[in-house]
Amino acid sequence: MSGVDLVAAGSVPQPVIAQVTAIEASLFVFVVLTAIVTALARDVLAAVIVFGAYSLGMAALYTFYRAPDVAMTEAAISAGVTTILLLLTLAKTTRIDHEVAFESVNLPAAGAAGLLFVGLLLTTAEIPAVGDPDAPAWSNVDVTQWYIAETYAETGVENAVMAVLAAFRGFDTFGEAVVVFAAGIAVLVVLRREVFA
Amino acid sequence: MSDRSGSSDSLDDGTSEGIDGFGDRAPSDTDGPSRTGRLDSEVRQGSPYTESQVIMPTVKVVAPFAFTYGLFVTFHGGGSPGGGFQGGAIMAAVVFMIAFAFGIEATREWLANTVVVGLAVGGTLVFAGIGIVTMTQGGAFLQYELLPVPLSRINRVTYGMEAVEILGIASIVSGVLMGLFFLLARGFSSEGGASGTGDSTARTDGGDDR
Repeated sequence: MSGVDLVAAGSVPQPVIAQVTAIEASLFVFVVLTAIVTALARDVLAAVIVFGAYSLGMAALYTFYRAPDVAMTEAAISAGVTTILLLLTLAKTTRIDHEVAFESVNLPAAGAAGLLFVGLLLTTAEIPAVGDPDAPAWSNVDVTQWYIAETYAETGVENAVMAVLAAFRGFDTFGEAVVVFAAGIAVLVVLRREVFA
Repeated sequence: MSDRSGSSDSLDDGTSEGIDGFGDRAPSDTDGPSRTGRLDSEVRQGSPYTESQVIMPTVKVVAPFAFTYGLFVTFHGGGSPGGGFQGGAIMAAVVFMIAFAFGIEATREWLANTVVVGLAVGGTLVFAGIGIVTMTQGGAFLQYELLPVPLSRINRVTYGMEAVEILGIASIVSGVLMGLFFLLARGFSSEGGASGTGDSTARTDGGDDR
């Protein structure tokens, strides 16, 4: 990210992160470590708890990259609700005490994951730098800049993310809300129950 | 289903072992020479709840603030990060917190099934209703400026969006999450009844006998 010539912003203030800061680096290390521990932990309970920590680290990372809406969703849903639901499921199942803390690494699986990792790593050269004002997702006059410029006049709310979700893309959000509703119904059907109890 | 009376109290029975259901290493006799670990599933399934003098006061203090924060995130979604989805999840998490402090069964009795269903169904109906009302006015789905309310155009859009976020999305998310929580806490058995009883013989498979 350093070394990229960050062009000075125009009229709209641009998020500019020129260097990898210590906080950012430690968050990256934390997230990678928790992800590895989640994959390798032998005890499922430990894996679930570390996975919650991973989600919290991701939420902090999203906050750091100025996506607070995503960060709040990650913290509330992934770190909070999902962890609780997984723990609740574990409480219903048999748990075995393990002598060793970690699974032995499955070499073919690790090789496949490594290949995927290298493949993804090769694409990062094409991804715009963080804070790059010329990034297509940001500099697009017809979409991003239009929403930023017009949201308040069109909807009267300042949070463009919410305006997109509730107004500009309201029908999509309706579909998502119905999916959440259908998930509740589906669990009722699968568990053959008629009440949420 | 006809199982509500038979097993609804099973979670509160025999709370002598198991610390809030998670992470406890309840000492139990091992069985099976091939397994070195302890199987405490019946302890868990029988009593996931034990009163804790640390957790209960903590939740008593934290819950009002967390719930207020959830309300703030929901109602203030137009001016700050957040919105109905995040706020609904936070408010549902408050209920989870209360359930872990004071017992899932007690929370379930306090928060009736009607409330959970009402939130989920009512939220969906409000969301769909607002969209359809604007269609009956000759517009598109969720074309807020056509809402038949005596407000200025921009306020119709703003309050229409807030209504969708607060009454629609937040209700759906909090209701469904609470419902999933209560359903998972109850579990499953093929007879249509709840698990948590009669599993004392199923010591090794850890699941419900079918």
